[in-house]
Amino acid sequence: MDWDKLVQLLVNGVTLGSVYALVALGFSMVYGILKLLNLAHGDVLMVGAFVGWGVLGWLGGAQDPTVAVWLVILLMILAAMVGGGFLGVAIERFAYRPLRRAPRIAPLISALGVSFFLQNSVLLLFGANFRSYDSFDLVDVGVGVEWGPLHVWVMRIVVIVSALAMMGGLWLLVTRSKLGKAMRATAFDREAAAMMGIDVDRVIVKTFFIGSALAGAAGVLVGLVFFQINHFMGFNYGLKGFTAAVVGGIGSIPGAMVGGLFIGLAEAFSVGYIEDLTRGRLGSAFSDLVAFLILVIFMLVRPQGIFGKPEVKKV
Amino acid sequence: MRKGLIAAGLAALVAVAVVTAAVAKPAAQTTPAQIAACTNVSLGFLGPLTGPAGFLGQEQLSWLRFGVQKYNKANGTAFKVVLGDTQLKAPVARTLARRFVADSNLMAVIGGSESQAVVVSGNLFEKADLASISGSATQTNLTNGQFKTFFRVVPNDAIQGPQIVTYVAKNLKAKNVVVIDSQDDYSLPLASAITRGLRARNVTVSRESVSADDTDFSSVVANVDSNVNVVVFATQVATAANTLSNQLREQGKKAIVFGTDGAYSPSQFKPRTGYVSVFAPDPHFDPSARALIREYNRYSKNKEFGAFGPATYMAGLVATTAVRSACADGEATRAEVTRLTRRTNIPSIFGGRLRFSAKGDPLPTKFVIYRITNGKYAPVG
Amino acid sequence: MTEPRPEQPRIGVDEWVASAEERRQRSFAGRLEEAIDRAPAAAKLVVFALPFALFPFFTDSEYVTQVGIDTLIYVLLALGLNVAVGWVGLLDLGFVAFFGLGAYLYAALASEYAGRHWEAQFAVPVIAVAVAATGFLVGLPSRRLVGDYLAIVTLFFLQIWLVVLVNASFTRGPNGIADIYPLKLFGREIVSLEGYYYVTFAAFVLIVSFLYLLDRSRTGRAWRALREDELAAELMTMPVNRLKLMAFAVGAGIAGIAGALYAPQQGAVFPANFDIVLLITVYAMVVLGGAGSIVGVTVGAVLINASLEALRDPDDASWLFYLAIVLALILLMRPRWLPVAVLAATAVFGLAVHELAEQVRPSLVAGTTFGTARVDELVDSWVLLPEGAIGQDGLPAGALARLAYVGLVAAMLGLTLIRSRLWRAVALVPVLYLGACVWENVLVAQPAVARFVLIGAMLVALMAVRPQGLLGKQRVEIV
Repeated sequence: MDWDKLVQLLVNGVTLGSVYALVALGFSMVYGILKLLNLAHGDVLMVGAFVGWGVLGWLGGAQDPTVAVWLVILLMILAAMVGGGFLGVAIERFAYRPLRRAPRIAPLISALGVSFFLQNSVLLLFGANFRSYDSFDLVDVGVGVEWGPLHVWVMRIVVIVSALAMMGGLWLLVTRSKLGKAMRATAFDREAAAMMGIDVDRVIVKTFFIGSALAGAAGVLVGLVFFQINHFMGFNYGLKGFTAAVVGGIGSIPGAMVGGLFIGLAEAFSVGYIEDLTRGRLGSAFSDLVAFLILVIFMLVRPQGIFGKPEVKKV
Repeated sequence: MRKGLIAAGLAALVAVAVVTAAVAKPAAQTTPAQIAACTNVSLGFLGPLTGPAGFLGQEQLSWLRFGVQKYNKANGTAFKVVLGDTQLKAPVARTLARRFVADSNLMAVIGGSESQAVVVSGNLFEKADLASISGSATQTNLTNGQFKTFFRVVPNDAIQGPQIVTYVAKNLKAKNVVVIDSQDDYSLPLASAITRGLRARNVTVSRESVSADDTDFSSVVANVDSNVNVVVFATQVATAANTLSNQLREQGKKAIVFGTDGAYSPSQFKPRTGYVSVFAPDPHFDPSARALIREYNRYSKNKEFGAFGPATYMAGLVATTAVRSACADGEATRAEVTRLTRRTNIPSIFGGRLRFSAKGDPLPTKFVIYRITNGKYAPVG
Repeated sequence: MTEPRPEQPRIGVDEWVASAEERRQRSFAGRLEEAIDRAPAAAKLVVFALPFALFPFFTDSEYVTQVGIDTLIYVLLALGLNVAVGWVGLLDLGFVAFFGLGAYLYAALASEYAGRHWEAQFAVPVIAVAVAATGFLVGLPSRRLVGDYLAIVTLFFLQIWLVVLVNASFTRGPNGIADIYPLKLFGREIVSLEGYYYVTFAAFVLIVSFLYLLDRSRTGRAWRALREDELAAELMTMPVNRLKLMAFAVGAGIAGIAGALYAPQQGAVFPANFDIVLLITVYAMVVLGGAGSIVGVTVGAVLINASLEALRDPDDASWLFYLAIVLALILLMRPRWLPVAVLAATAVFGLAVHELAEQVRPSLVAGTTFGTARVDELVDSWVLLPEGAIGQDGLPAGALARLAYVGLVAAMLGLTLIRSRLWRAVALVPVLYLGACVWENVLVAQPAVARFVLIGAMLVALMAVRPQGLLGKQRVEIV
């Protein structure tokens, strides 16, 4: 039993999963309140990644930062959160709010329009080349945690810890604060919440802000640990985040977190073990296939997702 | 309903207008050989300008426009570049090919950038006697005689594969190699050929595969054994090769990355130790080409580029030279341009002179292997 | 009608409202609608199909005919998707996999790679049935999953299909299958582009007729009931599950036929043809045209594909851009004289700014535009063309162009926030001028990218203005 490989895959999976979880949270929150699939969410992540890159350049670049490295990273994340948050609010205000009463497929098309617009605007403004975070210049690869023969680069730990911190903060917000209560009430029954005096529009705006801020932060984390960003990256992360949200039970916050981890681990392990499992017949080319098959079977077995509640329709 | 009817009526009007506009386009052109007045010549560019492979096409387009502008200034010509964004999709490339064929001012095509585009456009161009010169389509069978008006300025994969195999097996003395492809029409045949060649030399090869737009290779790296010396990575994304080598270092593996020509990019693939094979001596390092690089940097404000940009520059040069010769008597036909392209003999920025073989491959053809140390490139073989 | 004072009884208002339906029926639009309803179905079909039938006669260009064929294929796809999404309300995100399956099956039945050449009259029906059966299988999860959960499972199927296509050896991977034999109909091979156009047209007519009859049949009525309220339909003893599966199967079958006609015409199939971008395009066609309406989705498909092609040519794109702005102003602004005033004011404003810039800082007007259309030349002396704002390779150099672009987006969004019609018209003037400047500087330099920016913006704007699509009916959904 190759324990090194297992632990390595575990670390990989948790890193990926943390990022997916952050994206899934934004999806879940918005769906819970508006029953809307925000397909432009992945592109908010992409914009956040570019904002972070811009801040990195502004602070002197990875080779020669003008302030301490931890401060650089913190500022990048904060800037991306603010930028992402405001972008999310703008998307809600201009693309989704006019469609509150429209059939559900209309906001989907609108979201796709926003996605095209954002991707190609970034392409227009920044060019098509991949941009690099040069993270090894920022934090050397040798800096990390030793675990037996295994070496875990500190950046992965930063990603996992930041993601956990943000998820924890969100959890506190949703369960302990007044805003959180308003969000849960609006998600449960929008009309009743309005009748109870909750300003539903403001709650929705704040939800979008928080969800998109998380996506923006995820963008920076992706850049830090996977080095390169480009205008097209949002698509894949959006898809995986969406999957994670549904698998975890869409509308549920702990579900998004667990769903994200599940998808990340499934990806890592399917690449790592597919050859062993299929005795060499399928290579890592088919790892995606295996991951999707697992997901399909899971959805058929438990359609409401891990933490979702089975839908009870009232007649 | 009333608003709907008005909307439908307007939509119908718009539809008729748009379709009529699209229909009333420059001439019906059914005769393959045609005369252009040589006053309004354009060259078509066929490659991906948007989408995940957009950076490839944009780099090539930039060098093409640079080359055409330079040529126009030096020779008093007024060639224009017409864009054809294939979005990396074959049906779009085919429709664009028809569009190019129907444009009577278009005398040559630079492209298709991707081999797929050549496959679907090759016989359309052949029927129209329209020369197409590619700066990046390396699939071997494109020059097996099936497309008589297709040329390329880069050598094909049948040459690159064996060269990499020889270097890895003999010079690097690798006993245990991992070959990774990126699931596209460029990398899969190349990776398979390299795998076969290495196995024939008793090298242990294991195969991995990633998707062309993957950015995280940690799990593939976890599969790389600690006794693997070399990871051969067939990719068109130089930054992916960079990430792969970073993550190999991160997990403490001793394997180094050997990238195929798609990974070549002094600004994006900068491992601590690595190798890359590319089809010509790098203009970055060839002193005679340095002036050209400086000029390009001025033109593009120091935009990054890899191997395929300069190659497309050469393709553009082939086309402009041929068209200018054809237009020497005031008139030119596409067939004439194609004939002159076949007889091309111009100085190449990669050294020596560029000519074409009977099937459209460039002569001379050579792949150069670079060793990269701390991001610095040095040719080794 | 004057504002009624609260204490006065409002005489006649209720009667006026009550007779609204009657007045509508007597109006022109009402009578037209009635005439259309009464006309025999065959006549409607002829009128509907006529433009498509005559299309190839208006052009000699192979390019235009190719676009026509592509459009018809898109129409077929839109019609197929309409069954699941428009008529039954199922979110099928795996739809293009059926299209791909149809194409690859044809390649398996008639190509050099497969070593056989089935005739079309056998191949196409077989493929239709096979793909419909696959649609049935894919629809099976719909028994346990509803709405968005079903959507994601169908999306998974699409992803699985793509992975298999790219990696399985029998599908030849990313190189695709490139030596597909042409369509052989009753012994005669179809090799000309017009031939393929008419075969696709014939399929189009057959499928439209089939769908029309299906819509008016018991199944069609059942589907409509299912979409409106699934629970009520189930209580009315409709076999809900079977109906859903049928919708999947019919939609898939149509997509399969489209694929089978597409493959021989292209001569080759590649995995990349059947990806999510295609899915999005077909969805946009269905929704923008009006989900649920056969005529609607056809019009949507034609309009979108024609616009996409027209936008490909940067010259045409410039014309379309300015035309769209003028049209939008005329259609959306009331009273009717306001858009004219706004346009005139913009022209004057622009000239003033241009003059001012020329006097104060000449470098602001000294640049050149990448645009080559006549309209670009005309506009050149009117907009600001800062020197060096755009690099020679067409990308923004420096901050000015980028800030202008972002500023334009922000300004357009801000415009929608202004309540007062008058102030909005006033604010529109500088924004329009800025828009023209950004177009001439930034966007025409990158036509391939500008195309997608415009399409994205259009989708958002169109949905905000008319969410039910062109010919769709306004529906209220109970969430």
